Parts: sequence; structure tokens; C-alpha cells
Amino acid sequence: MSAVLLVRLKIPDLTALTALDAGRKLLPQGYELTRLVREELVLFEPSPGVSAGEFEPALAHAVETSNFFVNPNKERYRLLRAAERGPALVPAEGSWGILARSRSGTEDLGLLDRLMREHPLRGLRSIRRARIWWLWTRGPEGDTDADRCYPALGPVKSTASGLLVNPHSEGWLRLDSPVSWSRIEAFLAEPASAALEPA
Amino acid sequence: MARAAVIQIPGVNCEYESARALERVGIEASILRFNEPASVLSEFDAFVLPGGFAFQDRIRAGAVAAKLPTIERIGQEAERGKVVLGVCNGAQVLVEAGLVPGIHPGRVELALAPNLAPRRQGYLCRWIHVRAGEGPGRATFAAPLPADRVVPLPMAHGEGRFLTADPEVLRIVDDEGLALFRYVAPDGTPALGYPDDPNGAMLQAAGITNRAGNVLALMPHPERAAVLKHVPLDLAGPWGEARRAGVGSFSALEGPGPGGFLFESLALRLGAAPRAAAPGRRG
Repeated sequence: MSAVLLVRLKIPDLTALTALDAGRKLLPQGYELTRLVREELVLFEPSPGVSAGEFEPALAHAVETSNFFVNPNKERYRLLRAAERGPALVPAEGSWGILARSRSGTEDLGLLDRLMREHPLRGLRSIRRARIWWLWTRGPEGDTDADRCYPALGPVKSTASGLLVNPHSEGWLRLDSPVSWSRIEAFLAEPASAALEPA
Repeated sequence: MARAAVIQIPGVNCEYESARALERVGIEASILRFNEPASVLSEFDAFVLPGGFAFQDRIRAGAVAAKLPTIERIGQEAERGKVVLGVCNGAQVLVEAGLVPGIHPGRVELALAPNLAPRRQGYLCRWIHVRAGEGPGRATFAAPLPADRVVPLPMAHGEGRFLTADPEVLRIVDDEGLALFRYVAPDGTPALGYPDDPNGAMLQAAGITNRAGNVLALMPHPERAAVLKHVPLDLAGPWGEARRAGVGSFSALEGPGPGGFLFESLALRLGAAPRAAAPGRRG
């Protein structure tokens, strides 16, 4: 099991605001996009036979004291230790999400090099990155109606449909209910699906 | 006189040099704000989406601009046969709008993904070499270029890797010559990896057209190489030699540069009355 770092801006996120504005124009009539949050997900994979708990204290120190991951002036973060993070990533009340990753791989070798050079962590094998778009939508019945909003906001198919993911360069995973961490780890570690359909 | 609109979207930064490169070959260029009434666009014969960072590349490069009514209207004008050139960020907009390669109209069939090179990430700014192949876009965008001519051009992008996850699109782009411009080594041999291929694009594509050949998404910047003085003094090859030989000669330095061919080609296509050519190398 990996340790997970979730980072989001605490100052106004202009990218998220732009996505909110663009997304509202794509939704069907009667549907609303009330809030949109962008969050970076960083996964710290232990080496085989090693528990993430072995490097987590040092990792927590590195996250807190380095500028590799978080700028505390503008960002806030949650470091989810493997033993404490629970079985699944749970969307916040009233939200659903899209986890997007590069089709060309998720490993950040440069960041791993830099981290290991300045904060050697024993047992850390790799660092993987992805992005989560958290969405608060409302349909005519007052529920989130993610199924209806997803084609407008998810993988881009045309100028009229899709926004947050380009399926030719990114793989994606819908997060409209709790998704197990093991599934998220596999989604990031395995090659992106060749198909243009959701994972 | 042929008229081209250079579309100024918030965040672009190459509109003035694009307009100058067009004016230089006798095309009347107007810089048009993105929120002008779309109906104005019908007055123009061609459209240029210049480089830069439209909407600060938020979400993805080109993703937000692709949804603009102006771009939708440019797509309609392209269907009528008008010429559309997107350079760098403009190329990203065309791809995100589904205008290139446009095999299945209305569908987004490509991405311009982050550059991929060994142990190297992010923005890359330098000169590379391209060659124009045979394809439906040659008559519009590369008419003056001999088939084997290698052209040095500057590139400056972080997300320039043409990519599709659809094997059918890849096959058609390759088979039908839609990858009009491909990265090559300085001697013209195929670019087999970094640095000749700067970003790992499929088919080593630097520029891809639609099937009709009137819309081009081009990652390198021909407008930044439109005149000889744009060429760096230390560039190897004949264009570098011409640049060094031109030192001290205003007229030589104001002559055509390696990227000038593309604008000359547009002028030919649009029937623009060419201005008196300044001395300098053509290529």
C-alpha cells in the first residue's frame, strides 16, 4: 500500500474557475455545475517487501519542510498514510470526481531523483502523479446526476461535449462513489487502457 | 487583396509577428479580438490562430479556446474551403476543436500532449528541422518548397506531442500524408529520437493538416523565422551561413528567412499580390 499526498490551492484556483465557467456552458439545460475543485494526487509506492510506514515519517518531514510538493503560502495538503487512509477514496458530500492521468506514464522520475537526493527515503520505489477534478453538479431533480453531466464535463469528444480530459493523451477513472485505493493504485501503475473508453 | 484574420485570444503572444509575416507577402492581415461578432469572420479569406498561451493553457493547452464561438465559426469557414493556420498554441486549439485532422467531422481525434524526451520535462525552446511531405496540404502550405528541402524553424512549446489513441486515425494520418511536416535530422534523415525529434510526436509530426488540406496545425513557429535576421548566428547549415554572410547588410537581413516559404505559399493559394521581394535566400 502506498502513501498518498493530496494537494490543492487555498488561494482562488483560476484554472478551476475557468473550468467551472467553461463547464457550465456545456451542461444540458436544467443542469448546474455549482463548484469545481482541482486536486493533485501524488502516490508514493514502496519497494517490494517494504511497508510505506517505513518511509512515511521521513516523507511527512520532507513534505512539510521542502518545497517539492507544497507551497504553504498558496496550497494546503493532506498526507494519507497507508495504514490510516481507509479502504477507499471517498468523494466529498454531494460531489463526484474524475481522476486523470497521462497515457504516457505516471512516474515522476525527476521528482523522485530530487527527493532522494535531498531527503533520502529508504524503501520508496516510485512517485506517481495524477489529477482529480472534483465536481458538484445538480440536475433538475436536485441530485448530482453525474451520469448526465459526465458526457459534458468528462473526456472531450467534440467542441460540444467533454472538457476536463483529452482521451488521446490521458486515461481517466470516474469517482462517483468510494473507489478502493487498490484500484486507484492499479490505475496509476498499469499502462493506460488502449481503448478510448473509461477505465 | 487577400485578407487574413489573426485571432487574438487572451493569452496569445504571437499575433503581431504573425500579422507582419502575412503582410510581408502581400496578404492584408487584421488582428481580430476573439469576441468580435462571429459574422465578421466571413469577410476574411484565411485565418491564423497564433502562438501563445490562450486562457493561460488552463485545463489543457487550447482546451478552453476551442470552445469559443469564434472557433466554431472558423470551423464553418474552413468547411467552405477557407484556409486556417494554427501555430503552436493555435495548433493546440485546432486539435482540441477537432478541426485537425477532421477525419470524422466534429470529433476530437488527437491530443497535443506534454513533450516526451528522456530525462527531460516541460517547455522546450530551440531550433529544429522539418521537411514537408506529400499530402493534401502541400499546395496550400508548402508549395514553394522542393520535396527534399530541410527547413530549420524555431520551436517553443511544452505540449507539442501529436498523439492519438485511435489506431484508425493514426493510419489515416500516415497513409494520406496528413502529417505534412515531420521533424528530421539536419541532413534530412528521419528524426529517430531526441534531439532531432524534440517531443516524441507520433510519426515525428510537426504539423498535421485536415483531409481537405486547408487547415494546418503546426507546432514550430514559421513567423519567427520569416526573415533572415530571425536566424541565429550560430545555426549550422545554409541558413546559418546566409545569416552570417548577411551581417552588416540591412537588405539581406530583411530578406526571406527559412519560415517565409509558408507565408509565400499562403499568398500563392490566396492569390495575393506579392510585394517586391527583398534580397535573401529562398528555401
